[in-house]
Amino acid sequence: MSPTSSSDVLIRKLQTISEIREADVDVLKGIPIQEKDFSANHDLVREGDRPVYSFVVLDGLVGSTKHTGDGKRQITSFFVAGDIPDLHGLHLSVMDCNISSLTPARIGFIRHDAIRTICNQHPRIATAFWRSTLIDAAIYREWVTNVGRREAYTRMAHILCELIFRLRSVGRIQDHVADLPITQAALGDALGLSTVHVNRMLQELRHKGLIATTGSKVHARDWAGLVHAGDFDTTYLHQRNPGDQH
Amino acid sequence: MARFYFDSGDRDLFFEDEIGVECAGLDEVRRAGFEGLIDLTRESLKSIDGQQLFIEVRDENGDKILRLSLSLQVKLMK
Repeated sequence: MSPTSSSDVLIRKLQTISEIREADVDVLKGIPIQEKDFSANHDLVREGDRPVYSFVVLDGLVGSTKHTGDGKRQITSFFVAGDIPDLHGLHLSVMDCNISSLTPARIGFIRHDAIRTICNQHPRIATAFWRSTLIDAAIYREWVTNVGRREAYTRMAHILCELIFRLRSVGRIQDHVADLPITQAALGDALGLSTVHVNRMLQELRHKGLIATTGSKVHARDWAGLVHAGDFDTTYLHQRNPGDQH
Repeated sequence: MARFYFDSGDRDLFFEDEIGVECAGLDEVRRAGFEGLIDLTRESLKSIDGQQLFIEVRDENGDKILRLSLSLQVKLMK
């Protein structure tokens, strides 16, 4: 099920959002990617850093995070396999947020100069990377709406729908069962909710038969019901073939 | 770290916590309960005189150790 090489993970993701041709695939396969494993809650890059590389998530769940002046954490987005959370670092030299592993994660580092060279020579690949950052921005817009305006129950259902949908679209899960070994506290930091309320919302979704939880696994038992409960519309994820992935 | 169960509700509805939340001690239980009550209030408080919302915490033995509650008074002054 898992792709064999780190460039395959990247290629698969780019293919879900843009038209990548065979010649482009060969170029992408040649990108030097340095793999590294991290435990959960490791800062991969910190606010203020000036990285000379970007990274692709190969396995695990990664989050971009910001801290308020009094130390409260807001997780501002999730990233799954194939995503490049800090691709904007290619053009914005100083990091304006932290990007951390939320679960154990395997990360592939790609030097900025390597990405620049490829983008200069292969416009379709440059376009694919551009689309990727634009879609990340669309995900942020949805995130703000979710956290700012939706009730906690809808908010929780929405984030579960997004994670399951994104994991499915890059082939990480075949059904509606996602392994999400993240704490209730981390979910609270993502949703702007207290841990106690996160706990309550998960149980309400469970009681209504929409999800089942075993250990760190979340199973969407009633996908259509969860989509409805979460006010979830996939338009903002801009997949090329959204119809294939329900 | 120990697991604590945060039951919650109002006069009509009782929600029993079957999963629980891990907390490092009583101070953290109290803080978690208070933050939970704020979220509960934001979501569930209706403009009904006398409405009461509460969070009640049990430890792993099932003993009740903390109750936080608030109630709303609505009075027409004219």
